Amino acid sequence: MSHWLQMGGYARFLWPSYGITFLVVALNIWWARRSAREARALARRRIANAASRSTT
Amino acid sequence: MAWTWFHKYGSPPHFYRLAGRWLPWLSWGAALAIAAGLIGGLGLAPPDYQQGDGFRIIYVHAPAAWLSTMVYTVMAVSAAVGLIWRMGVAHAVSASCAPIGASFTAVALLTGMLWGRPMWGTYWEWDPRLTSELLLLFLYLGYLGLRNAIDDTARADRACAVLAIVGVVNVPIIHYSVIWWNSLHQAPSVMKFGRASMPASMLVPLLLMLLGFTLCFGALLLVRARGEVLRRERNARWIAEVLA
Repeated sequence: MSHWLQMGGYARFLWPSYGITFLVVALNIWWARRSAREARALARRRIANAASRSTT
Repeated sequence: MAWTWFHKYGSPPHFYRLAGRWLPWLSWGAALAIAAGLIGGLGLAPPDYQQGDGFRIIYVHAPAAWLSTMVYTVMAVSAAVGLIWRMGVAHAVSASCAPIGASFTAVALLTGMLWGRPMWGTYWEWDPRLTSELLLLFLYLGYLGLRNAIDDTARADRACAVLAIVGVVNVPIIHYSVIWWNSLHQAPSVMKFGRASMPASMLVPLLLMLLGFTLCFGALLLVRARGEVLRRERNARWIAEVLA
């Protein structure tokens, strides 16, 4: 296991590469879901506003 | 009429529903392909005869670099479709590409630097491939900045579409930079005519990673574009139906 982690002496270049890549993948998932959630909340507010205007 | 499919997919409610149906398939496909690619790339593939285990950076660097130019092309083509046929969904897709593409361009540059240090002896060189890839990052950032600077969505769409289409000239320059000019960077080993210059034990994990990252982009794009379509539509009955 530790032999594998050392990656033939390239560990200090290899693992940060994988770390950066999967950090950015995770951030992208989070950002995309947050953006979609905000858009749905905005659309719900618009629908509620339109409904309250039409009843008054 | 052959054009009916075009307008059907360009209609926001149809796009929203279709994207929702595709999403789980793309997400699971991406997760499985990346998991298999990691096992193959970090475990099963043999060390390179010159670069030893350091070559394994290719399994994250090449997919990120592939996405950086592929996403830009999708962004420019959808911007052109939006501009020519005045299709709001296409502009929504184009706008959704930019943050994803920018982030993977940064990953391609950073992992390239981490690969360059042990193999070339330097993190950075003003080399044609590296410089044109850095220019790609600036094009993405310019697109995002331009969109943020214009409040009116329709005007922002048109201005950003022109920037995206003009900037797409950089994509073939990036691809051919290693062939046209003397470059530290190696020539393509997969995306070229003829046989890939790698044994199957190294190549298959790379293809799985390329597939996984492409599917991952597809899933991210659909999530973002669905939100973008909702933001652009006002007082449409279908929104009340899909959110109910």
